Amino acid sequence: MEFDKIIHEPARLRIMMILSGVEQADFNFLLTTLSLTRGNLSRHVEKLESAGYLKVKKSFNGKMPNTSYQLTEEGSKALAQYWENLDAVRRWKG
Amino acid sequence: MNSEQNNKLQDTERLKEIPKWTRKYAQNRTLTILVLMVMVVFFSMFIAALVGFPLGLAAIGFRKGNMVLGCVGTAVLVAALVAIVKFYIVILSKFGGKNKGLLDQIIDRWIYGNEVTTTVPVPKSSKKKICLEIVSAVIFFICFFGSWHLAIKGYIAYKYLQPVSALYIVPFVVCGWYFWQSPRMGPIYLLSPILYAIHAILIVAGAPLFFTTENFCMFSICLPMLGYGFLPFVIGHFYSRYALKKLKDIAHLEREAANGV
Repeated sequence: MEFDKIIHEPARLRIMMILSGVEQADFNFLLTTLSLTRGNLSRHVEKLESAGYLKVKKSFNGKMPNTSYQLTEEGSKALAQYWENLDAVRRWKG
Repeated sequence: MNSEQNNKLQDTERLKEIPKWTRKYAQNRTLTILVLMVMVVFFSMFIAALVGFPLGLAAIGFRKGNMVLGCVGTAVLVAALVAIVKFYIVILSKFGGKNKGLLDQIIDRWIYGNEVTTTVPVPKSSKKKICLEIVSAVIFFICFFGSWHLAIKGYIAYKYLQPVSALYIVPFVVCGWYFWQSPRMGPIYLLSPILYAIHAILIVAGAPLFFTTENFCMFSICLPMLGYGFLPFVIGHFYSRYALKKLKDIAHLEREAANGV
């Protein structure tokens, strides 16, 4: 059994988990919730986006640019599969 | 399995709670809805006063044969109605149609500005839903004013006005939440119909939680409706603070883990 290496990384797993609970969340929400630096968070979401797990939405909040993220269907499936695999390993290890 | 592995396992297990707390946080950012509700209540009161005052003035004037007062009242009433229509046109052009939800966003940003945004799916609107909304609102108002009329005519004792109203208000609010608010608002919203039903039961059981005079009898319905209506929004706001704290506790990354890209 192989784990999805993109999701297995702690920060990315948390990003995916947060997005699985809501319709969308913006960059600053992820930043403050996860206590990541801007650069790190950008790189993590880039990886998830390039894997097709996230959809990026850019808009304006008044005059301020706003970037929010949404989990794709592929991302939801990958996340569910990840937890299934993890639970299977746990059961096997007893 | 050693203790370190055990701890790791527990930490990973806790991560499964992240979606739950994120959703609870997003669903309970209720201060926006509360502010909107207060705005609607005050605006309705303002409109009622704006129309009611000149209408009363005109009625008194014409009834007493004072044509000047009657005409002034009518003129003010017409001016007020024109102003209200104009105001609605401006409001609809700014916040209606394509900009639907903009007012919510502005208030949301004003209240939770520093806290940034998360959203839960907003229930989709359709023609069928809008028709259902209008029909149920009409039924609601027929029941509301019908029971008031029956109480004034003496068919319903003032004491039982609130318990009778619970028979249509509670199902209306529960269905309203299920069809139009969920999942935007969590089940905390159901607190208001529950409290309203308890209030009705207490009255039937003999508690003096009602008004007994004709002029104030509607307060037996309106006061609990407003009070219990606002309460879940206030509780929801505090619950969202708690959910955010829980979420941060679970999702917070140690520096080493945070840096691993």
